Amino acid sequence: MGVNPKPVEIGELEKSAPELTVGLPPAPHTFAPGTIDEVGEIMRAASADRHSVMFWGGGTHQGIGHPLEAEVLLSSAGMRSLISWEPDDLTVVVEAGMPVGELETLLASRGQTAGLPELVGAATVGGVVSTGLSGYRRARYGPTRDRMLEVILVTGDGRIVRGGGRVVKNVTGYDLPRLATGSMGSMGFIASVCLKLWPLPESSVTVPVPDARRASLVAYRPLAVLETDEGSNVYLQGPSRDLEVAAKALGEDPRPGLLWPHPLDAGSVFSLRVPPARITDAIKRLPPGRFIAQHLVGDIWFSPLEPDVVALAGVRTWAEGIGGALITIRAPAGLGFDPWGTPPPGVALQRRLMAAFDPRRVCNPGRMPGMN
Amino acid sequence: MSVIADFVDLLGRDAVLDSGLDLKLYGRDAGIMRGQVTVVVLPETTSEVSSIVQIAERHGLPIVARGAGTGLAAGAVPARGGVVVSTMRMNQIEDVDLDNRTAWVGPGVINLDLSRHTGPHGLHFAPDPSSQQSCTIGGNVANNSGGPHCLAEGTTVNHVLGLEVVLEGGEVLVVGGVAPDPIGLDLRGILVGSEGTLGIVTKVLVRLVQNPPAVRTILAAFPTVEQAAATVSGIIAAGVVPAALEMMDQAMTVAVENWLHAGLPTDAAAILLAEVTGSSEAVDVEAKIVLEISQEHGAISARLAADEAERAILWKGRKSAFGAVAQSAPDYYLHDTVVPRTRLVEAMSEVYRIGEHYGIKMMNVFHAGDGNLHPLMAFDASEPGMLERVHSAADELVEVCVRLGGALSGEHGIGLEKRDLMPLMFTAHDLDAQARIKEAFDARDIFNPDKILPTGSRCFDFGRTIPEGAWV
Repeated sequence: MGVNPKPVEIGELEKSAPELTVGLPPAPHTFAPGTIDEVGEIMRAASADRHSVMFWGGGTHQGIGHPLEAEVLLSSAGMRSLISWEPDDLTVVVEAGMPVGELETLLASRGQTAGLPELVGAATVGGVVSTGLSGYRRARYGPTRDRMLEVILVTGDGRIVRGGGRVVKNVTGYDLPRLATGSMGSMGFIASVCLKLWPLPESSVTVPVPDARRASLVAYRPLAVLETDEGSNVYLQGPSRDLEVAAKALGEDPRPGLLWPHPLDAGSVFSLRVPPARITDAIKRLPPGRFIAQHLVGDIWFSPLEPDVVALAGVRTWAEGIGGALITIRAPAGLGFDPWGTPPPGVALQRRLMAAFDPRRVCNPGRMPGMN
Repeated sequence: MSVIADFVDLLGRDAVLDSGLDLKLYGRDAGIMRGQVTVVVLPETTSEVSSIVQIAERHGLPIVARGAGTGLAAGAVPARGGVVVSTMRMNQIEDVDLDNRTAWVGPGVINLDLSRHTGPHGLHFAPDPSSQQSCTIGGNVANNSGGPHCLAEGTTVNHVLGLEVVLEGGEVLVVGGVAPDPIGLDLRGILVGSEGTLGIVTKVLVRLVQNPPAVRTILAAFPTVEQAAATVSGIIAAGVVPAALEMMDQAMTVAVENWLHAGLPTDAAAILLAEVTGSSEAVDVEAKIVLEISQEHGAISARLAADEAERAILWKGRKSAFGAVAQSAPDYYLHDTVVPRTRLVEAMSEVYRIGEHYGIKMMNVFHAGDGNLHPLMAFDASEPGMLERVHSAADELVEVCVRLGGALSGEHGIGLEKRDLMPLMFTAHDLDAQARIKEAFDARDIFNPDKILPTGSRCFDFGRTIPEGAWV
């Protein structure tokens, strides 16, 4: 490794193919690099001149966190390849721009899944990891963070840093893959990840139930127990003989397949996070509108018919009082509701950790709680 | 005042150890490395730990937190002397929350005690290292411990929802909680597996999992290690992730059988111990698949454990195997590396090749399902040059595993043992980033210094470069 050349001006870097930047919001400089080295060059240039950089995947969850007007928009659209897939090792390595749906379809062709969020449209693997979102199946397979075996990051100052490894069990150095999960781009651009996979069981059923909380306590490790404004379902997977017995124990006729609720598509969506045992209580406090509540997990996504800041603040105060949170997934501009609520403890330490990866604070600056 | 007087003042005489024997005992773990200790303290509360950190900082002494000392990578062996903080008196199981299936526990709680405590409620703590009768939850957190049943359940980090930790300056921070996805950076994730280098964990919020309604345990014996390894891959490829999938080679099986008399097939080159859990319907289906795949791969025998008593004795054999080695040689060195599961056959043949090359008997009992090897080198340390050969063999084993796409450690941690092998797996930039994490937590380098990262890892200050290799 030689001495780093002086970074070039951001405006001098070669533009990406126009078809890769279609549909992105306007920004003074827009890039969709095809290689990790190009990302490094862009980040070095941005960092040298303290240009803020916003990372962009599928653009489906950009409403999370403090809004950002960045000088550089860096899209992962040019980096969406499958790097390696070892079905017998139950691991896959993909570039960040790979859409979640495309990856899951591919994995399903060999009877496997990464357990990433379902029905998330154009969302990318990098976006899901960066926002730390998990699928409904986390009740059985754990959250996205538990899927993360390896991460390759490009730091704010253009260093390429790898953490973790491509094996399912590893304690070799600090767990960078987990730290990166949910970091909202504050540590740099997630270039690729290695994920732990699960085999897809033989059959799946959706069992409508009258009382989701009761069902969640009766069923042995269900895939998911969801309660919505339209009713409740228990989702089960396993050998078909097992499912028949398990469904019978819940007392309802099972329907074949996993019938996930229609995603919340309104302009206002919030996530209410509470201890799982408080979920019924939490549902009672929701403003009128659609909701999808995950029993055994404690996460409720809801869309109020009329987002009322005072009512939302009331629910947030209650949730924070029992160790939870209420965060914005997306909201109309100018709603005037803090997207995170009370910052977490240890903000100074978090700031030092971010600075370790982004010394000049150019990566999605101010997006995380307590950082604006 | 002297540091010892300060600690006696804070904790009382019985919680401060400074006799020659105590300092020797606390200068080692269950591995083969030794360190120097200035003083040992046994706090009972978080506020005592906070004061201990302040006192140690004032006296300029490093701090090494320690659980039961069952670690093998010298993570709890002081590299520069200083204060050893034993968490053994912080052993309260508080707030078992049956509705949320969680519990706050002290770091000194013994792993198996926790599962015994919650057992009557149908819940257990999933990580089950072989040392679970003596290792502590705090130690499990420090090393992100696994155990046979982490194949399906994941390692400690999957079962820790929150932590209370004492940081530099004695600051007490609580991260995570029972509610999902706490906002901000996931500090839990980075603290688990950090081997006491970032702070001292004083309380752990653990996730408890339901005891399975049914369990089937399968014992299969094979004429070759290759056939046993192929069976492991075959089971995973068939879409079954057993709760546990363990392999024992002939040398180890013979040692265990001589001592346990469990009826293990000592004529087999390798045996597999598999366990499937779930509803009684599901376990019957999966057990049948495991038996069929074993037979397809030429098993000499493959059968279900007849009852709970037989299951218990099979697991006793597995988890006590290392104790049975004493009959083979006076000393042993237990290794821990990982390879992708599909490279098991190659890795195992390399293990035996390296053993032959250095003239060391290799015995194996390990977590085959997740590619986590535990070659055990049985030797006599009084033989001249033997320790050097053991170290060379150990390093070569790690190099082989990394070459096969694996990692330095699956569950024992890096500690001092493998610190200088880190560059096998990571670039200078990777190690520098790790060193910056350490610096963000512990700028004065007081918590378990000189562990995990080789000296000089922090060399890439912004805008300045040092030739690659300068730090090795």
